[in-house]
Amino acid sequence: MIDEKILVWRFNRGSKDALKMLYEKYKDDLLGLAITLLRDRSLAEDVVHDVFVSFAGTTGSFRLSGTLKGYLSTCVANAARDRNRSRSRRDVGLEAAEAMDCDSGDPVEHAIDSEQSGRLMQLLGHLPYEQREVVVLHLHQEMRFKEIAEALGISINTVQSRYRYGLEKLRSIISSMVTK
Amino acid sequence: MKPTENIEEFLKLEKPHVTTGGEMDKRTLDDSFAAMDDTIRGNKTNAAGILLRSRAARLAAAAAIIVAIGLLMVYRNPPVPQQPLQTTSVAKSPADMLTAMSLNMAWRRGGIEAVDDQSSKAFKMLGSKPTRASIQELLVELNGV
Repeated sequence: MIDEKILVWRFNRGSKDALKMLYEKYKDDLLGLAITLLRDRSLAEDVVHDVFVSFAGTTGSFRLSGTLKGYLSTCVANAARDRNRSRSRRDVGLEAAEAMDCDSGDPVEHAIDSEQSGRLMQLLGHLPYEQREVVVLHLHQEMRFKEIAEALGISINTVQSRYRYGLEKLRSIISSMVTK
Repeated sequence: MKPTENIEEFLKLEKPHVTTGGEMDKRTLDDSFAAMDDTIRGNKTNAAGILLRSRAARLAAAAAIIVAIGLLMVYRNPPVPQQPLQTTSVAKSPADMLTAMSLNMAWRRGGIEAVDDQSSKAFKMLGSKPTRASIQELLVELNGV
């Protein structure tokens, strides 16, 4: 934590080494988050790229309140939501988007499988984007409900209900898979 | 552990472990460094731009420059302290001065006799209150008529 604050301080003083170290520290985690949310590695890489470039542009004026991991995760989640919206608009319709999401034969799914994360990705792919977002931010990025609510601009009750519905849906899917 | 028993633990354990590629790292870091440089350059020009855009700031800057130049000149060429005036070399009053001048002119006109004559006239006219002599009287005395 102290190391992180020192790195942020050095970053604010214009140190490229500090920026590189921060990138190295969080890149894999943020890419995992973006892939889980978007289910598209190429889009996810673009999101992480954009988030870091924006972050780099705040040098000299960046003020950290909370953890840097939480801040960057929020940025990735917001950018991923924007990408998801524009992707949905670009596709033929919501039905087509959902069909693509649930299609296990998608090449993207194979790419994710090759990273030994396919099982979870497939499961989370059944959730609506809003529920998936909350579940991943809470369980994988270790953000508290209050933090998520502030980051997404919604009430804490909405966050909790999305989380609860998401888990129930996942539980029922897993149960049906086990009974088969 | 069965995932249906504790779905939260299951999801935590199944967190995806992905790694970024070298190409992505290079692209992201290069663009980030460029953004950082742009911001640093922008901050420097902004500070100067704010100064030049604001009229009040411009005036303040000009005043500061003038004051700085003034201080520099003062420190480089300190003023020479003025010698106090020698009161003994100054006439005590206009009447005294004119009297002395009239005596001088009388000397030039007619030597010691003229000075003596002028002195007699001056003592007669000024008496014991030379400060009350009018300008007219003084001029008459000066001209010697």
